[in-house]
Amino acid sequence: MIEVSKHIRNKRLFVLMLGLILFIAVIGFSIADRKNLSWPENFIKDTVGFVQQWFYKPAGYMAGLFEDIRTLRTLREENEQLRQLAAAYARDKAEYNFVRNENERLKKELGFTERQQSLYKYKYMIAQVVAVSPDPYNRTIRINLGSKDGVRTNMAVTSVEGLVGIVSKVSPFHAEVMPLTELDDSSLTSKSIAATIRGREDKSFGIVSSYDDETGMLHMNKIPENDEMTVGDTVITSGFGNVYPRGLTIGTVETVQVGDMGLTKVASVRPAVDFDHLSEVFVVEVPGQEETSE
Amino acid sequence: MNRYGLIGIMLLLFMLEGTIVPWLVPVGFGDRIVPHFVFAFVLFAGLYGSRYMAFGLGIGFGLLQDIVYYGHLMGVHTFLMGLLGYTAGLLAANKRITLVMALAIIGLATFAYDSGVYFIYSVFRISTETYDWAIIDHIAPSLFLQLIFALVFYIPARRWFERIAPRQKSGEEE
Repeated sequence: MIEVSKHIRNKRLFVLMLGLILFIAVIGFSIADRKNLSWPENFIKDTVGFVQQWFYKPAGYMAGLFEDIRTLRTLREENEQLRQLAAAYARDKAEYNFVRNENERLKKELGFTERQQSLYKYKYMIAQVVAVSPDPYNRTIRINLGSKDGVRTNMAVTSVEGLVGIVSKVSPFHAEVMPLTELDDSSLTSKSIAATIRGREDKSFGIVSSYDDETGMLHMNKIPENDEMTVGDTVITSGFGNVYPRGLTIGTVETVQVGDMGLTKVASVRPAVDFDHLSEVFVVEVPGQEETSE
Repeated sequence: MNRYGLIGIMLLLFMLEGTIVPWLVPVGFGDRIVPHFVFAFVLFAGLYGSRYMAFGLGIGFGLLQDIVYYGHLMGVHTFLMGLLGYTAGLLAANKRITLVMALAIIGLATFAYDSGVYFIYSVFRISTETYDWAIIDHIAPSLFLQLIFALVFYIPARRWFERIAPRQKSGEEE
């Protein structure tokens, strides 16, 4: 009798070990930078995403309704601010048109190639958020655009407020967005962002490489020592890294300090986007990204 | 309520976890209060059904979550849900599980689940936070949500699982 129970316990242990080995093999296989998903994955992702969109959008609409009632009081003030902002933009628009025409003429005269000329003509594709992952270490956001709509991995995703993240996995009708909160410089799969400061695009530089969960701040390093970055500056993408397009808002500078070695400065940046209640995002398509992303 | 109805309910809960719940959680707590509703049902299956049913449901729904929200790596939820569902079934075998015992087991298992997720992600260097911080940041708040959910669904879940898998008397080792 004792022998039998011992035998069963060993068998259970054996199965557990086998499961553990299988599990580690699956992780090892899936942690690599996979370009394409297999068809069962695509099928499950798209089927589930199709159902999820019936829940997420109405819930967001209901939540938005309550939010609207709550913010009714501050609406007047906000309206005033927006009107002033619109007036400022209208003034800048005339100036902008002149500068753009001049710029295009100069590019033509200097003999820029077709690819160089269209390098910064980004296309913004609107997408609805379908679901958010219930896992604190993997907060992927699912959107309802996929490879059939021209979405590729490593495309940047922004909301009205600023940069949300990059597309990490694509199935035919849905895609997964890895938000900025998953940035980590010790991780194998995350990609750092080359950043600069709005208004001093050609003078400032820094690399946003990780997100600190404990403070809720992005960490920007490799800032030159003589950089005039100050608290309150708006950090935007510079487009030098060839992953993120240029000009997308990342956040505002909260602190600037001298780095560990004393040669460069580091800054903490508060993200512009609130990652919690997202409903609509834009996927940024960079012309000719297919060639550069490989 | 037959077997397929129950799987349907669990699928519905799986959908709610990623869609409705993020809207109910207040802004700023999105990555702190994390629902594990499907996992609670897997544990109910272990407590009031059989451990094999819990194992199967855990593997199935864990795999579903791993595939649908495939971010850094795959297999974490499959492994932990399967293992903990089976363990809960093993603990409950041949015993009458009262409400307090059920809540205690669900609480412990959820704590073990979140800790397991944390340790796996830190082994693969995807998160670099300390364990103490993880407990305060999201393990404890999620545990509260889980216990409230388990309390609300205790009676219906118990009835459903006991109906589809009548408890064997004794000596059902293999």
